[in-house]
Amino acid sequence: MNISTTKLFAAQIYWNTLKNKALRVLLGIVALLIIYAAFSGALIYQEQTQTRQHYQHEVRTNWEKMPDKHPHRMAHYGYIVFRPKHLLSVFDYGMESFTGNAVFLEAHRQNSANFSEAGFSTGMLRFGEISMSMILQVLVPLVIFFIGFGAIATDRENGTLKMLLSQGATWKEILTGKAIGLLGIAVSVLLFAVVVLLVACLGIAGSQINGDDILRIGTVLLTYTLYFSIICLLTVIISAVSRTAKFSLVILIGIWLTAVVIFPRTAQAIGNFLYHTPSRIAFEAAVEKDLIKKGDSHNPDDPYYKALKDSVLKAYHVQSVDELPFNYGGFQMKEGERLSADIYNQHLAGLLGIYQQQNNVLRLSAIVNPFTALRNLSMAVSGTDFQSYTGFQQQAETYRYALAQHMNDLQIKYISNKKPDDHDHPPSISKAHWKEFPDFAYQRASLGTVMYHELWSLLALLCWTAGLLLLIKLLSNKLKAI
Amino acid sequence: MFLLLLKSFLRSRIAVAGIVIVLLAGITGIFIGQQHIRKQQEAIALTEHFQQEHIQRNAQFFDKELGLLLYYLRFSLVNKLHPLNALSIGQRDVNSSIQSLTIRNLEGQKYDTDLFNPSNVLTGNLDMGFVLIYLLPLLIIAFTYSLLSEEKEDGTWRLVATQSKRPVNVLIRKLFVRMITVLMVFAVLLLLATFILSLPVDKLYLAVICLAFIYMLCWFGISFWVISLQRSSSTNAVILLSIWILLTVVLPGVANNFITSRYPVPESMATVVQQREGYHEKWDMEKQPTVDRFYAHYPQFSKYPLPDKQFSWLWYYAMQQMGDDEAAVQVKQLQEKLRLREQSSEYIGYFIPTLHTQQQLNSLAGAGLANQLQFMDSTARFHERMRLYFYPKIFEEAKVKSVDWDMFKVEYFSEEKRVSWGGLLLPLLLVTLVFSVTGWMNFNKRMTAFA
Repeated sequence: MNISTTKLFAAQIYWNTLKNKALRVLLGIVALLIIYAAFSGALIYQEQTQTRQHYQHEVRTNWEKMPDKHPHRMAHYGYIVFRPKHLLSVFDYGMESFTGNAVFLEAHRQNSANFSEAGFSTGMLRFGEISMSMILQVLVPLVIFFIGFGAIATDRENGTLKMLLSQGATWKEILTGKAIGLLGIAVSVLLFAVVVLLVACLGIAGSQINGDDILRIGTVLLTYTLYFSIICLLTVIISAVSRTAKFSLVILIGIWLTAVVIFPRTAQAIGNFLYHTPSRIAFEAAVEKDLIKKGDSHNPDDPYYKALKDSVLKAYHVQSVDELPFNYGGFQMKEGERLSADIYNQHLAGLLGIYQQQNNVLRLSAIVNPFTALRNLSMAVSGTDFQSYTGFQQQAETYRYALAQHMNDLQIKYISNKKPDDHDHPPSISKAHWKEFPDFAYQRASLGTVMYHELWSLLALLCWTAGLLLLIKLLSNKLKAI
Repeated sequence: MFLLLLKSFLRSRIAVAGIVIVLLAGITGIFIGQQHIRKQQEAIALTEHFQQEHIQRNAQFFDKELGLLLYYLRFSLVNKLHPLNALSIGQRDVNSSIQSLTIRNLEGQKYDTDLFNPSNVLTGNLDMGFVLIYLLPLLIIAFTYSLLSEEKEDGTWRLVATQSKRPVNVLIRKLFVRMITVLMVFAVLLLLATFILSLPVDKLYLAVICLAFIYMLCWFGISFWVISLQRSSSTNAVILLSIWILLTVVLPGVANNFITSRYPVPESMATVVQQREGYHEKWDMEKQPTVDRFYAHYPQFSKYPLPDKQFSWLWYYAMQQMGDDEAAVQVKQLQEKLRLREQSSEYIGYFIPTLHTQQQLNSLAGAGLANQLQFMDSTARFHERMRLYFYPKIFEEAKVKSVDWDMFKVEYFSEEKRVSWGGLLLPLLLVTLVFSVTGWMNFNKRMTAFA
């Protein structure tokens, strides 16, 4: 393969595209959309982050300001945690709009993460949002198809191809050269998008951008380049095997529609059909049923709690709980919290497992659909995927449990067993204890963990690229000029 | 002539493949809709069963104090499903159709979402609405993009043009054949849906049919206009697909980003923070002022004096009430913002046929934001009614057994639906008209025989 001939083909398709007025307009529209997407992504990020930080701060301040009181009151006062947005959510919104943003954490009860954008939306949101990732994943491939469908088919139709081959160019040079030329266009758009993204990130986060963010942006650059390679190779291959340019276009559009519009929805629908999820009420009923089976703290005659009490009384050699050296109410609640959290977490793990099974159909299908592979990778790197969301939920629950048990410990230690009379001052402990309990700090998965989790998607992209390169090699010996 | 055209059209492989794909997707959509309705109905049945059991069990455990019992008791209100919801799932997968509430403060409870897999909602539902709004236009595009250009490219158009007085009539007839075919495909799907989902044939049903019909007409109008530009098949395909993307992806997306940033709802978070503070801070304050404010809200309860005890249920529920009362401003602002969102979306929809059709379909199926807002209002009224029923009983320290607990069945809300035909169909008709007339004028100005 002659490198300079290959370069020539690449340069030809690259510059011809930029000279064509209609294509320039098309690329111009894409560029404008990218800027718009970055702008509105940054705006939404800033607005949401400010609101959430503001209220997270207010929640903390109010918590620390609480006067002396009974620790169990504090456990019911609870905490509200807000899901922080990742900086890269400016690039890929992922599931952000569909997941809850705030959870109220209190003793005895696991509340849902509420206030998702979707809950406050008209049906409009379901058409999708304009994000930089959407433009790069969905629109740019189509633009490449529009530019490249005739890359070889048109030459074949007007006889140029025959001439080229008779002048000594090889099929391999033509195919590789044209693919590289198309990739040049796609990567130019990608680089433009990355620059816009960097500007947007600098604009909103300034010097707070850290190495991890830069590494993630680098990963975006690499994975999208891989994706675009697949798109460009596919374009020249289809164009090379099609008799006419029109046929090539129809096939490419068909591929695009299948991969982007029909396939993902169908795969997710299949997952949804195969694995049934319970409704909220069914889920809660199942949790409550298990809980009652284990021990119902509301039931004064419950055998579990009766046995617990008897064993404690026996161990301390006393007749009634009033004589115990610690607060029995707190002790019983601590046990109750442990039981209910255990049972709840078991059920939640089951539910998340079903969700994961549903998602796996789409996830595994990435091997046949590089669009899905890239979409999953992109969301994961941007911290807006399913894993990030469940990660937040689990951390919020861990924090809730720690808070409730901390308050139970305080009660066990500091609150007297003696019930106050109607005119006594209610038992309370010093407000100094509130500050002791640390604020909620959301820990993100590292890029390494994220990539490890998305290994399958990465593998799918690599397989596709390798497969198509191999196909080009095979085709080079088989293709005919007419 | 007509039958001949139909036969020759249906002989093409791409036509048959397109029809088969759409039919398969449509049938899948019908079953997905059915699955959605079934799941919701199971949840409702479970709620009915659960509420009875829940009330009986708790009334047995907490048989001494009514105030304590009502701390736990939940009463449910169900947002009734219309069978049409199976065609357009809309917002019903995200927003719960069931509200189970205690008589404690409302704002802390009413935003609880349903359990759902965020991946499912992100990818979107494959319901009939999707087939109508996304896939049928693609079928129309595939059927029509080379209507004229193909004949020109094959050289057959010259023959047709010389044999007919008005060649454009031949074109119209060809277009008509395709229109009948697409309508038949939709009719088959609708018929299947009607039987499988047992849809009631009423005014709403008729509205859905009209909406779908005119939406498809709209796409034929757009196609006709593109054909009238008399470009090559490839150019037509590119233009039509670009319009499709503009209408199904780009414009709705831009509109959505606009609405989200134009009407942000930080009030939702303000509400949840405010109601919590409003209630909890009262524990550490003087009791009388709290109760006085409660009397001011409900003068009818001022006849119940604050008991001289460390804890009383009057004080407790007065504190709970303050949670709602102090968040009232934010709640109102939030509702106002959401109404603005709803309204602007409707106006924007007038200019974007896809968006308009989706929103109208959702609203006919009772699955849009408007329905959700009405359900929220109804939830507030339901909650208030329960409160007002139990407050005096609690304050009078009525016996738990004195209440007839069997009386509290699950209640239902159903939206009153009116069809405003003008708003439903006119925007689409206008778009259809504009494109068809422009196309017609293009043909009258110039009709070439060659590609």
